[in-house]
Formats: sequence, C-alpha cells, structure tokens
Amino acid sequence: MQLTTVPGMQSEIFAPVTPPPVWTPVTKPLNKSMVGFATAGGIHLKKQVPFNAAGDFTIREIPSNTKTEDMMVTHGGYDNSDVNKDINSMLPIDRLNELAKAGVIGSVAPTLVGFMGGGGNVEKFRNETGPSIANIFKKEGTDICVLTAG
Amino acid sequence: MIVQRAIEEAGIPTIVIAALPPVVKQQGSPRYVSPRVPMGANAGAPHDKDMQTNILKDTLNALMDFDHFGQSKVLPYEYKHA
Repeated sequence: MQLTTVPGMQSEIFAPVTPPPVWTPVTKPLNKSMVGFATAGGIHLKKQVPFNAAGDFTIREIPSNTKTEDMMVTHGGYDNSDVNKDINSMLPIDRLNELAKAGVIGSVAPTLVGFMGGGGNVEKFRNETGPSIANIFKKEGTDICVLTAG
Repeated sequence: MIVQRAIEEAGIPTIVIAALPPVVKQQGSPRYVSPRVPMGANAGAPHDKDMQTNILKDTLNALMDFDHFGQSKVLPYEYKHA
C-alpha cells in the first residue's frame, strides 16, 4: 500500500509536538533542600500592578513571608473562586512555611513567583519569562521547585 | 510546561501539580502529579489545611522519588465545586 500520495504535504490541523526531554536529577535530601514555588495562577501582591487578563508574560516576585491576605489573583483563564477564598489553593505558602518549621523541608526560598499561564506569547514565555523565573531561583540557591499550572 | 522546563534546564529539579495532566504531559513536563481537583485548586480545596499539606508533601516526595522524564502520579485527593 502506498502511504504517501503528495510528498511534503502537511496537515492543515495544528498538531502540537511534545518537546524533547529535559531532566535535572535530585541531589539533596528533602530536609536539606531549599524549596521554591512558582504558580501560573496569576497570583500577585495587592500592592503590585495586576496582570493584564488578556495576556501577560511578566512576573511578580512574592516574598515567602507574605501573608495570604496581602495577595490576590488576576487571571482571565480559569474560575478564580477557590483561590479568591484561599490563596493556598494555588500558592500553598502557609503550608510551605509549616513544612519548613516542622523540618520536612530544609527551607522555603526567599522569593516565590507568580505569573499568568494559559497561553499568551509562547516565544516570550520560552525565551524571557521562563529564564527570568529560573534566574530568581538560581540566584537564591533554590534546590528544588514546585509549580501549580495546567 | 514552558516555565517548568526553563527552571529544569537551569539545573533545578521541578515538579508541577496539574489539574489538567494531559496538557502538561503534552507540553513536555519533566515530572507531574495530579490530585483530582478543578483548575484553580491545584494545591487543594480552599481552607482544607490537611488536603493542602498532604498534596504538597506527596508532591515533594514524588519529586524525590521519580527517576525519569515524564514520570507522573495521580494523587488520592478529591475536591469539586459544590
């Protein structure tokens, strides 16, 4: 059976391709690790400029000693009702600090990060937003990082 | 997802808590877990301290244990909007 009828013909339907593997092995035990956290849920400090709900590739630095009542959400892409009730549903900042206090994790990274996921300018996210978030964690000696997204 | 991959590429091991696991898988997430929650409550139901603690602990333990790209686990916690 002949499978190719027109050489080089491509589907008109967008077919996403999964990118190649990326992997960094864990080298430290959990109770010695500094844990970072980044959320795509559009969380920021109330005193910071809100995200543009129509699409935004900028980031907001959130000090890990911030109180949940000093944070809010601006994100046009999902039902915000849970996170409006409790920021911990997307950025479990209180739980992280409790785990550090209990000695389950070594420490919480000084700076956590909020951004607005769910689309926008993919090139900007890949070439600017992603690397700048990574830089923040790298600079502060963060050992491992948890995210909420998707 | 893109940001997770960038952090992993910079040399920091990462894991994402996803409400939509097929999406993060397709985007090439190195490690992910998925509790049975709606988008917006990825880290657990609002004001449910026990669920939030358990999800975070299980996620961190998965990050310690996973040994290959794309590994994932469904976490045994369920929450849906009333």
